[in-house]
Amino acid sequence: MSTPTAFRQRVCEAVADERVVRAVHLATWHKMEARAESMRQLRDPEAIRELAAQIKQHTLENLPHYLEQFVAQVERSGGCVHFAADADTARRIICDIAAAHGTKLAVKAKSMTSEEIHLNDALEAAGVRTVETDLGEFIVQIDHDRPSHIVTPIIHKDRQQIARALVRETGCEYTEDAEELTAIARRYLRDIFRRCDLGITGVNFGVAESGTLCICTNEGNGRMSSTRPRVHVALMGIEKLVPRLRDLPVFLKLLARSSTGQPLTVYTTLVTGPKRVDDPDGPEELHVVLLDNGRSELLTGEFAEVLRCIRCGACLNACPVYRNIGGHAYGSVYPGPIGSLVTPLLQGLDEHAELPRASSLCGACQVVCPVKIDIPGLLVRLRVRTRRSQPLLKRAAIRLWKWMMKSPTRYAWVQWCLSRLLPDCRDGWSRGGPGPLGAWTHCRDLPIPPKQSFRKLWRERLSDER
Amino acid sequence: MNADRSEPRASARAAMAAFIDALRRRLRDFESRASLPQELEQTVRQVVASDDLPTRFTQAATSVGLEVHPASPTDWMDLIGDILRKHDAHSVVVQLDTDSPLGKRAATELGNRLTADGFAPTTALDDETLFSADAAITSVAAAIAETGTIVCTSGPGLARGASLLPPVHVAIVQTSQLVPDQCDYFDQLAGQAGLPANINLITGPSKTADIEGILVTGVHGPRHVHVVLVSP
Repeated sequence: MSTPTAFRQRVCEAVADERVVRAVHLATWHKMEARAESMRQLRDPEAIRELAAQIKQHTLENLPHYLEQFVAQVERSGGCVHFAADADTARRIICDIAAAHGTKLAVKAKSMTSEEIHLNDALEAAGVRTVETDLGEFIVQIDHDRPSHIVTPIIHKDRQQIARALVRETGCEYTEDAEELTAIARRYLRDIFRRCDLGITGVNFGVAESGTLCICTNEGNGRMSSTRPRVHVALMGIEKLVPRLRDLPVFLKLLARSSTGQPLTVYTTLVTGPKRVDDPDGPEELHVVLLDNGRSELLTGEFAEVLRCIRCGACLNACPVYRNIGGHAYGSVYPGPIGSLVTPLLQGLDEHAELPRASSLCGACQVVCPVKIDIPGLLVRLRVRTRRSQPLLKRAAIRLWKWMMKSPTRYAWVQWCLSRLLPDCRDGWSRGGPGPLGAWTHCRDLPIPPKQSFRKLWRERLSDER
Repeated sequence: MNADRSEPRASARAAMAAFIDALRRRLRDFESRASLPQELEQTVRQVVASDDLPTRFTQAATSVGLEVHPASPTDWMDLIGDILRKHDAHSVVVQLDTDSPLGKRAATELGNRLTADGFAPTTALDDETLFSADAAITSVAAAIAETGTIVCTSGPGLARGASLLPPVHVAIVQTSQLVPDQCDYFDQLAGQAGLPANINLITGPSKTADIEGILVTGVHGPRHVHVVLVSP
């Protein structure tokens, strides 16, 4: 829940923190380069993106059919499917499963959907200690912070902060060595994995024809959480389905490349039902919780294609706004360009009306999106929906603009006025100015107009040639 | 499933069915425009069967941090001994699928050989063993040349923890198990009668770059993954 002023405040604070801005810049540039490099390994990346978009779009348009097939297949393989219409129901279902098994300690693999429903708070309130096991999410949890990127949650933290958090939580010796810090977390979480009785994971893809859950992780937190505890709860949005097993390579070849520039994540885990009688290990029960939470409302509307999103995070890395303000400033679980769509659409436009405006509409997000979501186009359409809430002054200004642009004389006159009104700053950019002009130039770079306008130059050249 | 859990299961099923019905009603007048593409392979495939698969596999696997050791049917056990010594491994879990092309007797032979060489091999797969073992030696279900991926599945006598919990994982891959592309592996799965409960496509050692983007291996899974690639 945030007001436009709160948003502006957060952005101002974020851009003022040079350390974070630098860290985010570095990490996102690196990932963009790695992505571009790895996409070049594909013979025809453009055609694969087209296929991925088409498969997802088809699945969404025929969702009842594929849901039915998926549910039947999960049950056939011995799993149990639960439906959660909203976040509250999802939390209750998972807390009930935990209570039915007398769960004291739950482990969690990285899952944005579980962030969306604020699952940890609910489990803790129900007396279940819940430990995040993705290294980044673990640091976020023990530092009482929030993730700022959907793939690399502690992109905003430096190793000193990480070290301090680990020392506080585990009582280890202070070190700034990344390997040692990882080893400390490994030892600490190993003990948790040995004792835990419930594992919670997200799902990257659910395969309708076989009831298979595909979970992608690099560290192995998804494998651990779906192997060690007696009960495995997999939380997935209803939009995560794909029809066939042979659709998976289409997405797998894009997902890790788009995220981190890897050809595949280290572990691509395919779960089909709970442990079989003869299996030496694995969970005895598998519960799949299918979450709607506003998704089905979007299916028939103009924003349906946002449901194609596979949460790779490429649009965050590509976005000049994200790279400058970082993830926290958005004030939502899903940051970046896709978050500016998903958050208002799923959680209400009124509370998040400012998010569709947190974009320069440069289109970089659309260029990198593996499922070709028209993010800039949808942001504009979402802005239109909030039109009525525009301040009177802005509407008047836009009307004035329209009037001015319709006549060459008026345009020239306004241009002349502006070149006199805009204050001349030494660094070559206009800052300040009277009234709303000052507010406008405050967060935009406007070059100082040259002394002679192009129109004037043109007239003079023309008269020369004559 | 015992009686006290059948009731929540029934109500869960009813809630799901009601949602699907409502969704179907909502989408009734909605015209689906996107058809399901049937021809995927010619767009997606990167590696074909006529490519040099062992070379392709070795390149891809090496670039993601797996260590590949070419071996022959006569020297693969020696190589495993060398790898274990390099990591100072003593207690070793041996988990070879009897259905793998290595043959039924491979596990026993390897066990005897490792014992003779002074290691402590075991075929036990309980928690205590898996959590404390220095290394695990496993067979694989398949390997993908395109990405340098090894595939380990669950099944009778095949613990998920073997390729996950010990800090060193040695996988034995026969060149006959190599498939060219991910497409081939997933086509194979789709044609299978029933899937194992757990399939893991392993492409590198467990890794993270969460701390300032620095690559660190061995977060939850093995820090070192070796592939002994046996050619006939």
